[in-house]
Amino acid sequence: MRSSRFAALALLPVLSAAVLPKIDLPKDSPVTVVSADFGDSNEMARGGAMLLDLHAALSLRNSSARRIRGITLLVMAQEATPGGKGSVTVTSLDIGPQETFPVRVDLRLLRPLQASGAAPVEIGLDGILFDDLSFYGPDKLSSRRTLTVSEFEARRDRKYFKSLLAEGGQQKLQQAILESLAHQADRPAFDVQVVRGGRATNFEPEKQVQFAFLKLPDSPIEPTDGMARISGNEARAPRLEVKNRSDRAIRYLEVGWILQDRGGREFLAGSVPAELQLGPGQKSQILENSTLKFPQRGGQPLAIEGMTGFVSSVEYADGSVWIPSRADLGTPQLARVASPSDEEQRLVQIYRKRGLQGLIAELNKF
Amino acid sequence: MRRLNDHPNEAQLALFAGGDLGFWDRWRMRRHVARCSRCQGEVTALRNASEQVREALPDLPKDLNWNRLAEEMTGNIRVGLAAGEAIARFDRPVARVRPVRMGLNVALVLACATVVFVTAFWTSLPREQAQHLSSALQKIFTGQTGRHPAISQDDVMLEASSSAIEVKENGRTMMLTHPRSDGVTVSVNMQGSAGVRYVDDDTGQVTTNKVYYAEQ
Repeated sequence: MRSSRFAALALLPVLSAAVLPKIDLPKDSPVTVVSADFGDSNEMARGGAMLLDLHAALSLRNSSARRIRGITLLVMAQEATPGGKGSVTVTSLDIGPQETFPVRVDLRLLRPLQASGAAPVEIGLDGILFDDLSFYGPDKLSSRRTLTVSEFEARRDRKYFKSLLAEGGQQKLQQAILESLAHQADRPAFDVQVVRGGRATNFEPEKQVQFAFLKLPDSPIEPTDGMARISGNEARAPRLEVKNRSDRAIRYLEVGWILQDRGGREFLAGSVPAELQLGPGQKSQILENSTLKFPQRGGQPLAIEGMTGFVSSVEYADGSVWIPSRADLGTPQLARVASPSDEEQRLVQIYRKRGLQGLIAELNKF
Repeated sequence: MRRLNDHPNEAQLALFAGGDLGFWDRWRMRRHVARCSRCQGEVTALRNASEQVREALPDLPKDLNWNRLAEEMTGNIRVGLAAGEAIARFDRPVARVRPVRMGLNVALVLACATVVFVTAFWTSLPREQAQHLSSALQKIFTGQTGRHPAISQDDVMLEASSSAIEVKENGRTMMLTHPRSDGVTVSVNMQGSAGVRYVDDDTGQVTTNKVYYAEQ
């Protein structure tokens, strides 16, 4: 009787109040929730589970006195994935005091039928980065670093496009934006799985492949050696040796991982991060035990043949960061595979929507 | 209906003579015996024999075990059958047995030839194919893939595609989706996160959705 009543309730297309997400911001949060709309959300029974389809459109107000550059919201669903969590980050913002801005959370959750009375989804704040690079938030997901790197990239790219406009005029700016558009369209699309620990699911024999490294002249880190195990469409257990060639202590670095397949195609597969304490001139080894797998997406199955690494970001002990310059990104191999920064992607979108004059107006804002 | 010249068998007649048939069978048998002189004779003979046995009953041992007697009789019959079969086989021609030494020599030659063939085959294979074959054989014998154990259902997996990212754990799933957009960028981090970045068509904002492993 109870289960049939539950099933009947579950068939209701609208979201009951019991499954609405709990939005929990700290009392002294620099942003406040103005409104939350769950318009198209619904929950329905799927076999022995409940499928929650949540579409939340949040309207947040900047209640601080500084301009917001980026924000990360933490999304947790303890009943569905006790260990896993998600985040929604909005970057390249320029939100002044008392201004409102939207954040959208689209989530699909497969959770057990025997759910507890608690809200299935909790949305909280992980961090906010301001225009003076100050930060607010619990930073459970290392949002400070992520938002800071994004802000540094945004400043680099705005400066680059502004300099093109100043030195070469509108034509030069337009040419660079069109090149970026073409590059974004040409970048190979791929799906990827990350599995914790070892894994192999194909018949291909596993082999050790040596990393080749792109030399970035200004990088404070020099990768000296590295290898990973490759098997068909899987790459796992990368091992890298790096040296701090700067005169400052380093606490975090990321090495971008470019894979080549047998057909000669290249793509940026992911990054190998490391949190370490690396003094000037010191060496260290980075080991990761996860596996990347690239499922077949029609056509030829991917067969990994070679790998190239490059230093994609470094965080010094004082919290400042190093990122590759535009000149570094212009090297042929990196230019082919590197994804554009958040800001470059946003500026290109403005050009597509509002044209060259709209883009110039945006660049002149700050 | 039983016809007159369709006579019952001896067992049925014996049961009728002893009064051990059921009501319906007894009625039918009585009708047949009343009209059939041959069966009448059989029934009379059986009843006489039964009478003789009853008269001889006091001469039999008091503690006679009839079941054991039946088993002994069955055993004797089996022994008799086996003996008859052995005698019948005695005259059959016997297959000629080859000397054992000859068989061993043939096996040795075949084994050597196999080793030579396999070695020649393996060394003549290109390296990649040899590794492939080795891996496949290993999989057959160990039930595993590669040199490390295959993933179990309990492992956590992150998946990122241009349509969504998800974290899977023990058959449960949390997925972050995003509206259809051009220029979706997929990224993964070996420490345990997968992300998708897109530019929202409505707001023009750059949004990055990510899912993480537990440790993060």
